[in-house]
Amino acid sequence: METFFVRYRNLVVLLALLVAQIIGLAMQVHRTESGRMSFDRRDGGGVRLIRLWANALVSPPERLIHSTGQGVGSLWQNYLDLRHVRQQNQDLEKTVDRLRLEQAALLEDARQGQRLQGLVSFQEKYIYKTLPAQVIGASGSMQSRVFYLDKGADEGLRRDMAVITPDGIVGKVREVFPHSAQVLLINDQTSGAGVILETTRTRGILRGNATGQPQIVGIMADNRIKPGEKVLTAGGDEVFPRGLPVGVVEKVVPDPERDSFIQAIVKPAAHLDQLDEVLVITSTEARFPPDQQQDMATSETLKGAEAETENTQKKASEIMAERLPGLMDPNLPADQQPLNDSTPPTPVAHTPQPLHPDRFTPGAVPGAEADPQAGAAGQSKPAAPATSAKPRTDAPPRRNP
Amino acid sequence: MSISVLTANTRRAVEVHRYPVLVYALVPLVALVLQAWLPRVLGNHVWFDLPLVVTVYFALGRRSPIEGTLMGGALGIFEDALTQHAIGINGIAKTVVGFLAASVGVRIDVENHTIRLLLTFLLSLLSSAIFVFIYRILLGLALDWSWIGELLRALGNSIIALLLFPLLDRLKVKD
Repeated sequence: METFFVRYRNLVVLLALLVAQIIGLAMQVHRTESGRMSFDRRDGGGVRLIRLWANALVSPPERLIHSTGQGVGSLWQNYLDLRHVRQQNQDLEKTVDRLRLEQAALLEDARQGQRLQGLVSFQEKYIYKTLPAQVIGASGSMQSRVFYLDKGADEGLRRDMAVITPDGIVGKVREVFPHSAQVLLINDQTSGAGVILETTRTRGILRGNATGQPQIVGIMADNRIKPGEKVLTAGGDEVFPRGLPVGVVEKVVPDPERDSFIQAIVKPAAHLDQLDEVLVITSTEARFPPDQQQDMATSETLKGAEAETENTQKKASEIMAERLPGLMDPNLPADQQPLNDSTPPTPVAHTPQPLHPDRFTPGAVPGAEADPQAGAAGQSKPAAPATSAKPRTDAPPRRNP
Repeated sequence: MSISVLTANTRRAVEVHRYPVLVYALVPLVALVLQAWLPRVLGNHVWFDLPLVVTVYFALGRRSPIEGTLMGGALGIFEDALTQHAIGINGIAKTVVGFLAASVGVRIDVENHTIRLLLTFLLSLLSSAIFVFIYRILLGLALDWSWIGELLRALGNSIIALLLFPLLDRLKVKD
């Protein structure tokens, strides 16, 4: 017996290692209610321990590389940033001013929405608290679209927290370690997020395909979904708050597995391949966060009256437009409607045309007679009178049928 | 190519490579770290598998199937641990690769760069085939994949092997 093991020790070691791993694999998958096989959502104790070891081994060098690269890069970046900081500051001030105006205008609608939500016993969750985190590494496999953050359980991160950027959603926290966390991207094949299409209000589940593109699955083929339609989070998956941007529909393709269904390929709003810094939503509440409340109060004070006046004017013009449909041009956008044209109408002057124009005719060029060619031209086409206003070239308002 | 080039019939061809302990510890660790970090720079274009290349190198050099098996298994398991997949898929694939590379290394001249390149290419394809087999057949999980992608990865591994193997050869302990 001893001779057998000595003689075939290479094969014995190989088989022992393979069998151990196959048994381990069998313990990590299960059959779902739909009959499909799936990985366990939560790792067992042993598996979690191995992940913890791997993370403890790989994360510190990754963090070192990341911080070193960032330090070197920031030296040059800071110089470049400072060159244009004055212009950027002016631009930002203008943007803040515009946003305050918009926020003040939207504030009343938001309050009304909250009152209505209270009536139907529905509490929408707002992003209450976020934690910025740096991306320090990835899985290294193209079949696994996960990345690692430099923040973990000690900084308050928990499983299933939503990860976003200002552009759109990114993924959710899948595994949390003491000082790092694993995030599952929305374009992974094992991910899932409830989404809604902005215009058609079609709901579906977002998950990744083999090429790493997110797609909405489970849509009936009779839905009229067009490329370019915006996709938002639906809020029903208890991970992402409602209304966050996800991306836009790139194309619609038939579902290869189910005849009566289609799939909408989505171009993500967030740059999933170039993530440096993300925000983890650590808390959602049914009320606005304090800083947002303060910001709204400022907006209301500073811009409230201005926004209200603008709103009143807009509403008045809309009421007028409804009552006088002939003043609406369906071919023009709302801000270019003739009704909204605030410039005073220019009177069209009807200058009597002289039968025989001479040098005393208004608008005639004094020296025109000296030049025979010019004079001929002047005779054939009299010059426009200096005082006469140019007739309006824009088309008169059309009456709606 | 003559048989004498392929078979390990010279003293140089059958010698077992030895390395400082630090090399055994650091090279696999660096491979794992770079495999996890480089996708941040390269985006989705990760057409290589550094832990696999390192497994093949040490298995060929050490010519010990047990060592190759253990190193492949360990690196594969750590690779799996960094993904959200079940642990063991890459582990099994690299266990087999490590064993085969070492078994082949006993019989052929692994100093030849062409043979090393060819072996890395073939073993990369084998690793991908085992991965897909375990994922789709053994576990019955859904996985979209493409042959072209796997071929590109095998090609990428071969190119890296072409550059990395001579560098690692310099770290050998000389008799």
